[in-house]
This record gives sequence, structure tokens and C-alpha cells, in this order.
Amino acid sequence: MENKRLTEILTAEEISLAQHCLDFARKEGADGVRITLSKSLMNLIGLLNGEVDKTAHALDRSMQLQLFVDGIFGTFSSNSLEREGLEAFIKEAIGTVRMLEADSCRTLPAPERLVKNARDGKELELYDDTIELLSAQKRRELALSSMAWPRKDALEKGFRLIAEEGEYSDSVFDSLTLDSQGLYARHTETSFEIGYETTVEDSAGNHLSSYWWDASPLLKDLKLESCAETALRRAAAQIGTQSVPGGKYTLVVDSECASKLLTPVLNALGGFALQQKNSFLLDSLGKKLFPEYLTITDRPLTKGQTGCRLFDSEGVATADMPIIENGVIKTYFLNTYIANKMEVPPTIEDATRVVVQPVGECNTLEDVLAQIGDGILVTGFNGGNSNPATGNFSYGIEGFLIKNGRREHPVREMLITGDFLTLWNNLRLAARDARPCMSKLIPTLAFDKVDVSA
Amino acid sequence: MIGEKNYYFNLFQVDTQILDRLISEGLRSGGSYCDLYFENTTYGSLLLRDGAVTSGGSHIDFGVGIRVLSGEKTGYAYSESTSWADMAASARAAAQIASTPSEVSPYGTRNPSRGEPNPAADRYPIEQQWRGIPMKTFLPFLQQIEADVKKRESRARKVIVSLAFQVSDILMYNSQKELKWDTRPMGSISVSVVYEQNGQRENKATSRSFRMGAEMLTPALATELAAEVTSGIDERFAARRPKGGQMPVVMGAGASGILLHEAMGHAFEADFNRKGTSIFADKMGCQICPKGIQIIDDGTIPLNRGSLNFDDEGIPGQKTYMVEDGVLTSYLHDRISAAHYGVKPTGNGRRESFRYAPIPRMRATYMESGPARTEDLIASVDKGIYVDEFSNGQVQIGEGDFTFYVKSGFLIEGGRLTMPVKDINIIGNGPAALADMRGVAGDLQIDPGAWTCGKEQSVPVSCGIPTVLIGSLTVGGE
Repeated sequence: MENKRLTEILTAEEISLAQHCLDFARKEGADGVRITLSKSLMNLIGLLNGEVDKTAHALDRSMQLQLFVDGIFGTFSSNSLEREGLEAFIKEAIGTVRMLEADSCRTLPAPERLVKNARDGKELELYDDTIELLSAQKRRELALSSMAWPRKDALEKGFRLIAEEGEYSDSVFDSLTLDSQGLYARHTETSFEIGYETTVEDSAGNHLSSYWWDASPLLKDLKLESCAETALRRAAAQIGTQSVPGGKYTLVVDSECASKLLTPVLNALGGFALQQKNSFLLDSLGKKLFPEYLTITDRPLTKGQTGCRLFDSEGVATADMPIIENGVIKTYFLNTYIANKMEVPPTIEDATRVVVQPVGECNTLEDVLAQIGDGILVTGFNGGNSNPATGNFSYGIEGFLIKNGRREHPVREMLITGDFLTLWNNLRLAARDARPCMSKLIPTLAFDKVDVSA
Repeated sequence: MIGEKNYYFNLFQVDTQILDRLISEGLRSGGSYCDLYFENTTYGSLLLRDGAVTSGGSHIDFGVGIRVLSGEKTGYAYSESTSWADMAASARAAAQIASTPSEVSPYGTRNPSRGEPNPAADRYPIEQQWRGIPMKTFLPFLQQIEADVKKRESRARKVIVSLAFQVSDILMYNSQKELKWDTRPMGSISVSVVYEQNGQRENKATSRSFRMGAEMLTPALATELAAEVTSGIDERFAARRPKGGQMPVVMGAGASGILLHEAMGHAFEADFNRKGTSIFADKMGCQICPKGIQIIDDGTIPLNRGSLNFDDEGIPGQKTYMVEDGVLTSYLHDRISAAHYGVKPTGNGRRESFRYAPIPRMRATYMESGPARTEDLIASVDKGIYVDEFSNGQVQIGEGDFTFYVKSGFLIEGGRLTMPVKDINIIGNGPAALADMRGVAGDLQIDPGAWTCGKEQSVPVSCGIPTVLIGSLTVGGE
């Protein structure tokens, strides 16, 4: 592949094959068909203690078929894209679908809801053609340039750097979704990623680890240089851990890990949980369950930003919209099937690029710490889970005790316990420091009165 | 199930000459070892929801992974076709790793041999094939579970029953001319129920997973699952979260084996130790828990979810004592780490699929029974907690801090189980917890649930433990 321009990753021949499979399934008796053809190419260079430790090259193709036959539904896929084999596979799949039970709620989306403007896949400017000219040598240079290990001696201050594992990768992902109503929805994106996990040893022989990562659809926006040193700094910052007594604390959760506390709320607004009554936000649409100052929106159409998309997996067009506005729940996430089952209008399958609006006057983590004065800063979660039916949660945390707006000392082996409605109603601050490499733009958050066990 | 060699050669359209040519391509840049991993996996699934089996499907995954080692460095690539051109291109991509010189050769590459014989024991013979059976054959099994749940529990509002099965044909070959083949079945059933009482909702789930054919779908299993998922619902609604803090924890037999998986098992995986990151990196031969304790990782339990005739590097499945009489005696090795430590691989080189290079992974991890009685362990605790149902866990390898999430348990007050508790996380430190084991009962159980370990890749595992008392762990609470 070196120094040769790749063609668009899905070829005209492959696209023609997908269309043929769609037509073939119709001919064999399917009333409705949706086909997603996807292809990805990934190159990875792993680093260990200053050297290349691993290389990987991966080219994946798959075809997924969703078949609607005599009011019955089935999902099938194969990575063997040979025409005759696929025809036999489709015939057998249609036979299998007919053995299942009918469900009148299984339908394709209404045609007017389907995306119309995803023709070449690059409309959202998520494709960086720099990737076409990256050679194996260039990739190696990029990876090696990101290491902190060569500066080990200068960086070791009161600790020993035990291990530095890094991974650089770049990938192209291309997919095309077709359906028997004429849907043609293509999405093409590149991704460049760097990640490090670093372990240090303190003077007492304790091992302390941490990580850092960055990603971007565009190579020029990837923060290669600072990643390894950030992981090292985060690991070394944990030296001197002390325990603190349990009790109620103001909890600051940094933007790297804050999604842990929002994702279960978004899941509770998902159609599957709602329809199965396995959601603590059942019957919440239009109700003000959160504080007036909390607004969370979905912004799937922002060009050039991680995670954006023009359509969901059904091919339904996405749109910017409020999720929670001034504390009021404004939408559920309902695909066609779940909406039919709940006998309500469909929306979109799930949230795409979630944005938490700022609360209070603070831009950064340091601003938040200064405002809260005393509390606990959470820089990572260690396990835990939540109960989707009740909203109760319990998570392990690690971070720092905060006194007078400053990090007093690191803490770990602590737990927070509570329920999400109470937690979010005690939100005091939301900064403006969300990480652009994440699909959920959640800034540093501060919550009052959180139960901490230690 | 171990089939005939020609079945695998025909399936992947290869012969020994092609395999040797491909190995040569992989070693063209001077690598010290090359192996090939061919896989053809068929997946099937059925889902019962809202009283009907209205969703199902099947999936095929086919390809070959090619790994080239240059000392301890790994080059990896895969192809989704077994045409020569595609496989050779992947081999050349993997071969690039050899452009970086390395000092240590992996296990056995200095002394090529004809390889190990196939094991006499087949740990997962298939009585009834999953492939080729009409899906409708399985529908009554799912329907029986749902009907039984509703008959047993009037508070059951929503019942989901899912069946997932897969059969993987595997062919492995390497530059030592070791040729291995295997067919691995797996069947998994999960049942999830949402209950409602006085406007409150609770959920409970259970599962079974075995390396078995379709013969596992018996009426007795359906009854067992329905009984299990409908038990303890009164306690689930009555349960509260305890006051948090440090306290003794009695881990019930079976699923509490998650403690071993998270607190010890990962830290014993040799890649973490080879890289110096594990908290147990310099503890080989040391007393790490009280005398009398044996901790094992076992790939030989018949029909067990974690069992293997061969691991994914072609090493025969085996039983590995990690801790004997309280002393750390073995890490869990793949070929690379075994070479690093100068020991034989332990059969723990595993991978999610042909898309991944193998790394050291657990199989079925458990502790042998001890001399104590369960009731005595509970009676010895004045104020603590008993736990017996879990959902997930994780560990920080460097620090050794582990957590697991408890779905249900009981407070222990004055040596007796009292208030039911739920939805709490427990956190501790691996070495500290091992050293703080106060008693081990004689009731070892291997949990039959669908445990999956997610270290870089997902692989099926299993865990088990007898009832164990740990002196102090941090329990989440209000």
C-alpha cells in the first residue's frame, strides 16, 4: 500500500453487489430489505518502552441484511462477499425468518424520514485524505514521535518509569445502507488515534498506572506530542495516596470521565429500556425532572467533529434537537420498531453528539475547583454499575481530595453511591472544557452532597 | 469436538504445501516465528420478547489471522478470504515487524519439532449440531421459559429470553510445523425479567453457557432457569443499600469467583508481569495468601465455557495451579511470555477471533474447597455483608485495586443474615484481599453463567469459588 493512492474504500463492484443482494432478496420473497455494506481499513503500531512492539494491519468487510418477510423479521450478516455464496445465504436466511413469529411492529421507516443528502459519504467532512498517502515508514515515525520514554531520565522526578505502552492507529471506515424503499445512505470517515498507558513506581515500591488518549477524524488535529507525557503525569500524580473518611462530599468529575454519569441517563431515555419498563425515566417525557439550569442537546450535524452522522442505522435523517431543556425531558430515542410497539411517533434511534450546556461561570477544571473550595475530584472510575430500573448506582472512584480549591493529596479505593435523579438535581457547575475527541461533549461537572464510602 | 483434518483443509481450501508457503511469506523479512489461525464461525440467535420469538438471525465470520514474531515483537494481519493473493498480502503486512531486530526467541522456535499430539480427551463432544437444525426447533424451549416465569411470578411484567449459539471451526499451523484443528461449540441462554410491585420496578437476570451442542436445551434446563430468575424477588423489593464503609465480606459460593478473576487472575496473566506493570510482577515463589489455599485456572473442565482442547496458539488445554498452599507458583502464559520467563506455555494464549493476536487470558478460574463450614464463616462476622449475585467487575493491574458490582446479598448482624441489600459496588486491593482470607468453606461451585472477559478482546470464561470470608473490603453505601 505504500505511496499508492487508495481508491474510495467501497468499490463500485461492491456497491453493485449490495444492490444485487437487495434485489435478490426481494425476488426470493422478502417484502422489505435493508442492507448495510461496510468496509474498514486499519493500521496500528504498538509501542512498549521506547520501541515498536506490535504492528497490525486489518481490512474488514461485511454485509448485514435485515429482512422483513410475511410480517416477520430477521437479521443476518456475512463477511464472505462472494456473489453465489451470498445468494445461497440469503435464500437460507429467508427460510429462517419464516420460522419465527410474526410481529406487525417490524416495518421499515416511513420513506419521508429517510436521509436524502448522504450520497458520497463525505458530506460531514469527516474524511481526511492525508491517510491515502501515509506509508508504513511515516506511520512508524508518527508513532515513535509520540513517546515520552526517550526522555525518561529527565522526566523521572521522585519516581521510576516502569512501563510505557502506546498505540498509534489510523483507519478508514466506509458504509453504505440501502433499503427496498430506495434509501441510499453513505458514511465515510477517517480516524486517527493515539493512546498511552503508563506505570510508575514510587520510592516505596508501589506501582501506579494511568492513561491518556486522543483521537480525531483529521490527522492535523491529533494531539500526538502531549499524550504520553499526560499519561505519565497522571500516573505520577497518584503518588502519596491517603485515605479520607466517608461522608457527603462535593464531587468534581473531570471531563475525561464525566460521561460515566450521563450515559445511564441517556440509556434510560432509550426506547428499548422504556418499552421493557426497565428505565427509571419511564413516563417522563415533558416532565421537569432536572434543575432549571440543565440543558442537554444533540448536535449530530456539526461538520468535522468526532461522532457526527447524517443518519442512524435505519437510515433515518438525524437533526439537532434538545434532549433535556431547562430541566424538562424533551425527547425519547425511539426507532421505528419500538415506536410502533409503544404506539407513539418515532424519533431517532439514539443520541449522537451530546452537548451539556455550561452551568455557572467557569471555563476549566481549575475554575471549578476554585469555586467549590473543598471536595473530591474524580479523575477516573474503577468499576461499578447502575440499576436501569431504579437509577441507583455505585461506582469506584479515584482522584484527589480538594481543599481550598487545590489538590491536597490523591485518594483511591473509594466508592460513590446514590441515584441519578438526585445526583443531577444536585448539579452545581458545568464547565466549558469538554474534550472534542469524544462523541459526548461533557465538561467537568460538580455535584453537591454525594455519598462517598471509604 | 475434534473432526477430521481434511474437513478443515477443504473448508479453508488449503493443504500443507499452501500452509508452508504462507509461513514462508510471513518469515520473508526474517521473523523468528510465524503462525496461522484459520476460523469459520457460524453464529445463531433467537430473541423472545413480549411473548413471542419475533427476532432472530445468523451470522458468518470467516478468515485467517497471520502472526509473525520477531523475538517478543508481534506483527499481525488478517484476511477475510483464503485466496492465495489475499493471504499472502496479509502475511507480507505481518512480516514488516521483522524490520526491527529483537533479542529473545519465543518458546520453541529455536528447536523446531513436529508438535504435540492431539489430546486424547475431547472436552466438548457435540451430540446435536447447532448448524443445520431449523431455528423453529428451538422456539418451544424459549416459550417454555417465559410461560414458566409467568406461572411462578405474577409480578413479572416483561420477560426477555435469548438464545445465542456459535460453532467455530479452527485450523492452526505454525513455523514449527505444528498442525492443530478443533471445532468449538458454545450455547448461551439468558433470561431477564422486570418485576413490578406497588409502582416500584426491579429486575433480575440469569444465564447458562456451555461448550455444548443443541442437546443442552432440555426441559429441565428451562425449568431451572425459570426457577432461578423468579427466586428472591421479595428480597429484591425489600432490599436497601447498607451504610457504606470497610467491613468483613462473606463471598457466597459460585459467582463470587469474580473476586478471583478480578483481584488475582488478571494480575497473574504473564503479559502484565512481563511488562512489569502487574502488582505481582516480582512475587513468584512468594507466600501471597494463607497456607492451604489453591487457586487454579483450568481449561480442562468438560463442557465448561472456558475450556479448550487447544488454546489459540495450538498449545493443549491444561490445568494450571497459580497458587499452591498459598504460594504463587505460576503465571498464565502464552508463547511470548513463556519464552520471556523460560517456562512452557500454559495454554492461556487466547483470542476473540482471527482478527486478534493471542494474549494470555484466563479460562475457568477457581479456588479449591477449604475446611471451614459456610454457616461458621457467617456466624463469625458480627457486622458485615454476605454477597452472592454480581454483574461486573474490573481491576487496575498496577495498583491491584479491584471492584465488583453486587446485585444482591444480605447484611450480617450478630452472625446472622438480616436485611437484604442490592446495587452496591465493593472495592479492595488484590494482594491485601488475598492475604486477608480468613476462611474457606468446602462448598466449591463453578458458576454456569455466561461470563465474558473484556481485556482488549472478549473471550468466554468461567469462574468459581467456595464460600470465603475476607476480613475487610470497602463496601459502597449511603
